[in-house]
Amino acid sequence: MARMLPIRFWLPLLIVAGTLVVAPQLRPSQPPLQSHTLALLLCGTVALSGYLFAVIANPEKF
Amino acid sequence: MTTTARIQFPRMPRGPRQERRYTERPRQQGLVQRAIMEAFRKLDPRLSVANPVMFVVWCGTVLCLLLTLVPNLLDARATAADRGFNALISLTLLATLLFANFAEALAEGRGKAQADALRRTQARTEARRQRPDGSTEMVDSSTLRRGDLVLVQAGDVIPADGEVITGVASVDESAITGESAPVLKEAGSDVAGSVTGGTRILSDQLTLRISADPGKGFIDRMIALVEGAERSKTPNEIALTVLLAVLTQVFLIAVATLSPVAGFLNQAPSVVTLVALLVALIPTTIGGLLSAIGIAGMDRVAQFNVIATSGRAVEACGDVNTLILDKTGTITLGNRLAEEFLPVGGHSSAELAEAALGASCFDQTPEGRSIVRLAEKQGAVLPFDAASASGIEFSARTRMSGTDSPEGTEFRKGAVDAVKGFVRSRGGTVPDELDGCFEQVSRLGGTPLAVCRGGEVFGVIYLKDIIKPGIRERFDQLRRMGIRTVMLTGDNPITAGVIAREAGVDDFIAEATPEDKIAVIQQEQKLGKLVAMTGDGSNDAPALAQANVGVAMNSGTQAAKEAANMVDLDSDPTKLIDIVTIGKQLLITRGALTTFSIANDIAKYFAILPALFAGAGLQALNVMKLASPKSAILSAMVFNALIIPALVPLALKGVQFRPLSAEQLLRRNLLVFGLGGVVAPFVGIKLIDLALGALRLV
Repeated sequence: MARMLPIRFWLPLLIVAGTLVVAPQLRPSQPPLQSHTLALLLCGTVALSGYLFAVIANPEKF
Repeated sequence: MTTTARIQFPRMPRGPRQERRYTERPRQQGLVQRAIMEAFRKLDPRLSVANPVMFVVWCGTVLCLLLTLVPNLLDARATAADRGFNALISLTLLATLLFANFAEALAEGRGKAQADALRRTQARTEARRQRPDGSTEMVDSSTLRRGDLVLVQAGDVIPADGEVITGVASVDESAITGESAPVLKEAGSDVAGSVTGGTRILSDQLTLRISADPGKGFIDRMIALVEGAERSKTPNEIALTVLLAVLTQVFLIAVATLSPVAGFLNQAPSVVTLVALLVALIPTTIGGLLSAIGIAGMDRVAQFNVIATSGRAVEACGDVNTLILDKTGTITLGNRLAEEFLPVGGHSSAELAEAALGASCFDQTPEGRSIVRLAEKQGAVLPFDAASASGIEFSARTRMSGTDSPEGTEFRKGAVDAVKGFVRSRGGTVPDELDGCFEQVSRLGGTPLAVCRGGEVFGVIYLKDIIKPGIRERFDQLRRMGIRTVMLTGDNPITAGVIAREAGVDDFIAEATPEDKIAVIQQEQKLGKLVAMTGDGSNDAPALAQANVGVAMNSGTQAAKEAANMVDLDSDPTKLIDIVTIGKQLLITRGALTTFSIANDIAKYFAILPALFAGAGLQALNVMKLASPKSAILSAMVFNALIIPALVPLALKGVQFRPLSAEQLLRRNLLVFGLGGVVAPFVGIKLIDLALGALRLV
């Protein structure tokens, strides 16, 4: 549990940072709101994939 | 004042084993209501994250709910008209989560009810603690510490676990075992010398030495085990979790990359549709039921009045290859009875009866008492004053018991070769007919006990062994399941061989000592086999610890119970066979539902893929002729949600067990759950599609 706390802290930060980086790339095809939410969805999906990798690596912890 | 409460454990009917069935669990009020409440509480993402498949569904549900509230959140072209469909998908996904949570909560609730029942036996009571000067003081049971001496009298609740120091008394252990017949407890006995806190003394009085500090007694450990067992994953569950996580990962990547591909074909699907596709693809059925199956397996063991230390122990039962069984109490009825006296060396039957009575007057075992009864029936009278004589207890080393009379005469009875050795050590000779009598009794499947007085052999007592009814059929079943049975007995090889043949065990070890048990277990384990055994004495503790599945009898010693990974509250060694069956049923249920879960995804592909890519020529895959793309997607989602509660009874009750080999079981389960898992969703999705059309929901 103690090891999970830092993840809880930095994972949202990474997602937000990723969103801010990706959103401008989507701006040419999408309005501002949609480009940001799409970027957020993309980063969230990557995070979800990372979580599944974590489960595969340490199944007994979940 | 003393108080107690009784555990309402479900009871198995007494009688021949083949007639035993699972008994109906006592009605647990509010279990379903509590499970429903718990299902909502488990929507908390901090709890959902423990289940990778359902956490992905949770994420999809949140996304769909957001798109219901703001349909154009991700796509500026989306309109409010999409809100209805998004809402229906969101609700279906939410129902999927709730049904999965409900299944787990229902299984957990049954375990918690058992822990609560155990906790009710822990009512605080007052105890008479002995001071060092011998006087007693009344203290609260919670203040008792290991090593304290306590006096308990008829009517008292035993305040804590302890060992009997002095006294003989009958104890009502029904609060723990549910068995109403009182149990005799006495000082100096390995098995009958331990008592459990929360039980009630019915007659006489005992002085106990407390053996556990508060919170560390038998009941406390049982509560911790019942409550804690559900939280530790078994190796099999861990392996399945990895498989499900890998499948989920693969489908997540596939669905995430599908959007640009579909966009290239001008078939860009909505995000809600992609979420629906992802949920349909990932194995939600087994993901939702996995923990419920494991918890229910533990619960089924508890229904047999057996407390397992962990799910790992129950699961290990399912993989057991070898059962090591004590002859007495497991294969034969516990009480061997003296049938006949066979005199040798020119002695009369009356002389033998008198010597047998002399050797058995302190023997309180059922066999000993039956010898006394037979001798007295033949008119024998004790040849000394019992009050001044001293009893010699049976031991596995000497394999004899007896009495030393006040005049110093040694009356002994026991295994023939042990008595021969004793007689020779006293300068006596062994009559030739003794071996003839020994063989005669052994060939009848009975146990011959030689009787001597000092250096003089008087003859043989024929102890009749009765094989339990139906035990041969049980062993036949085990053999069909690929399980080898080994009988351990202290009997001579001829008797053991006759009993083994009659009972149908695969192998036997005669004249076994406690060390033989551990040697057999180690030998089997070296061959890569998993071994299960039962035991009750302190000398069984090393073997119980060594075995992959060790079942201790509740009537056994503290050491045996601590070494074992299961405790049988009814102290019935035959139950090992039932426990192995339950373990196998747990593994079969998990395998069957995994097969079903993966197989039923196929129909969902045929529902969703044509709906997604109708414009790209995949409409030909719409073999179910579903009304519209939206109806197809929603039907698949509704089926995906409904199949979880539909399978909850099967997950909790377990797939019906049949004593078949692993290959036969695999073939059968592939046919029933594999083929059934493919066909059932086609029918189910079509019916739901028709119902949605009739209701004009999409």
